[in-house]
Amino acid sequence: MGSDDYGKERALIEIRGLGKSFVGQDNETVEALRDVNLDVGENEFLTVLGPSGCGKTTLLKTIAGLIPWNDGDIRIDGTPVRGPGPDRSMVFQNFALLPWATVLDNVAFGLRMRGVGRAEREERARSLIAMVGLSGFETKRPGELSGGMQQRVGLARALAMRPRVLLMDEPFGAVDEQTRRLLQEELLSIWEEHRMTVVFITHSMEEAVLLGDRVVLMSARPGRISEIVPVPLERPRSSDVGALERSGQYVEITAYLWDRLRDMHEEHRPSKVAG
Amino acid sequence: MTAAFRAGPRPARRPDVLRRLAGASLPYQLLTFTVFAAGWELYARGWGGLLIPTFTETVAATVELLGSAELWRAMYVSNQALVLGFGIAVVVGVPAGIVLGRFRLLERFADVYLNILLVTPMAAIIPLLMMSVGFGLASRVILVTIFSIVMVVVNSRTGVRQVDPSLIEMARSFGASERQIWTRVLLPGALPAIMTGIRLGVGRAVTGMVIVELLMVSTALGGLILEYRGLFKAPLLYGTIVIILAEALLLISVARWGERRLTRWAQTTTARNAR
Repeated sequence: MGSDDYGKERALIEIRGLGKSFVGQDNETVEALRDVNLDVGENEFLTVLGPSGCGKTTLLKTIAGLIPWNDGDIRIDGTPVRGPGPDRSMVFQNFALLPWATVLDNVAFGLRMRGVGRAEREERARSLIAMVGLSGFETKRPGELSGGMQQRVGLARALAMRPRVLLMDEPFGAVDEQTRRLLQEELLSIWEEHRMTVVFITHSMEEAVLLGDRVVLMSARPGRISEIVPVPLERPRSSDVGALERSGQYVEITAYLWDRLRDMHEEHRPSKVAG
Repeated sequence: MTAAFRAGPRPARRPDVLRRLAGASLPYQLLTFTVFAAGWELYARGWGGLLIPTFTETVAATVELLGSAELWRAMYVSNQALVLGFGIAVVVGVPAGIVLGRFRLLERFADVYLNILLVTPMAAIIPLLMMSVGFGLASRVILVTIFSIVMVVVNSRTGVRQVDPSLIEMARSFGASERQIWTRVLLPGALPAIMTGIRLGVGRAVTGMVIVELLMVSTALGGLILEYRGLFKAPLLYGTIVIILAEALLLISVARWGERRLTRWAQTTTARNAR
């Protein structure tokens, strides 16, 4: 399946022929990404799903401009990516909060790095803290917060930059199931209100389908896009997630993704004879 | 007495004074000190003779010394070397440790010297120092520095290395410059370990201060010790040592207090991890 069947809105992120390899521990070359072609539309919510080692995090970090790549080209709104930029901000799997800084200072961190003055960055940080439901916790430090609250701080810090592209690296992978569901619903309702382009890495099929407009399925060794699956579920989805999860379409797409993922796992099982 | 076995909710206990005392460490320290002092007193009265003063004699001599100008002059001279020497150790050692922690190549060069500093019996260096620098303040300062700098360097290095790499990546993703990464991530992250190095270094600095005066130049506090020994003034000899110990304890307590104040976040984090 091609990558350009998302014709509804114009592409904000264009990735062409992206290849990335690095030298592994035993001096062997690991091909993390091979010939990745992908367009992400303006205000699209794109989820990226794949087995571990498929290069999905590497893909995200190249878009973020955090790591260099070997072949190909990444453009944001026509401009080639040369490093991190204020148009993109990232939410990390392990939260990556400064343990010595308060919630307020953590949320304002990115603004501070970009040279926003104290009064303005604190005002913006406070409104974002309110948006993620952490009002009253401004002076707490990350060590005093639960995992779910810590990731709300991480989300607020990213949103405070008012990015065009929000890059999320398995952001809810390190929190418990119930917290994850709450965070998913909140992310949906925030995104429905303040639309932006989201690239969301996950290893959960349910999460990929619940959140995404399309699901990019990646396969491992080398990491490449194996298929892009559209998710034609109606939006807004945050109002009744339960009904959505019981709908035939949701069940069907999730089952399809699992079939494909299982095939990938079997391919890599040496004892199994194909067919 | 049936009340004690009654089922159901019990009234909350009043905070028990005895239990709170048992939780603090001061009562235990006082207890061991009392036992120690009593044992000393008994032993010195029974078998002490000329060379071992009793505990009460030592206390009296300490009080006498604290009122004498001679002691305070000695304290002043000795502490000149301590302040200068330890000051140099901190000013040189903290940046050195930080740089070594960040740049692995430099560390390969420096490692062997740090190990030498860690294991060499420092007293062996004293004759070398005397020959090359002389008997003045300079060699006492140098010796204090040599004694204490290792603790500062090694702990600062560890501190920088312990900073979570994902925090550096996070800072870069928000556009932090190399300088901002140092001032906003690496230094605050390394601060707890740096403070630990300073606390441990203070103890070694006091050791260095006394040893150099005992072995090299019999001035100041070390000179007093040698003088009282020569004159068989055992209580005054012991009193001088008590005062030196008290100073060391005081300095370490101040360092520990500073460490706690500056790095409260690190303690809440470790407490959380320990749970």
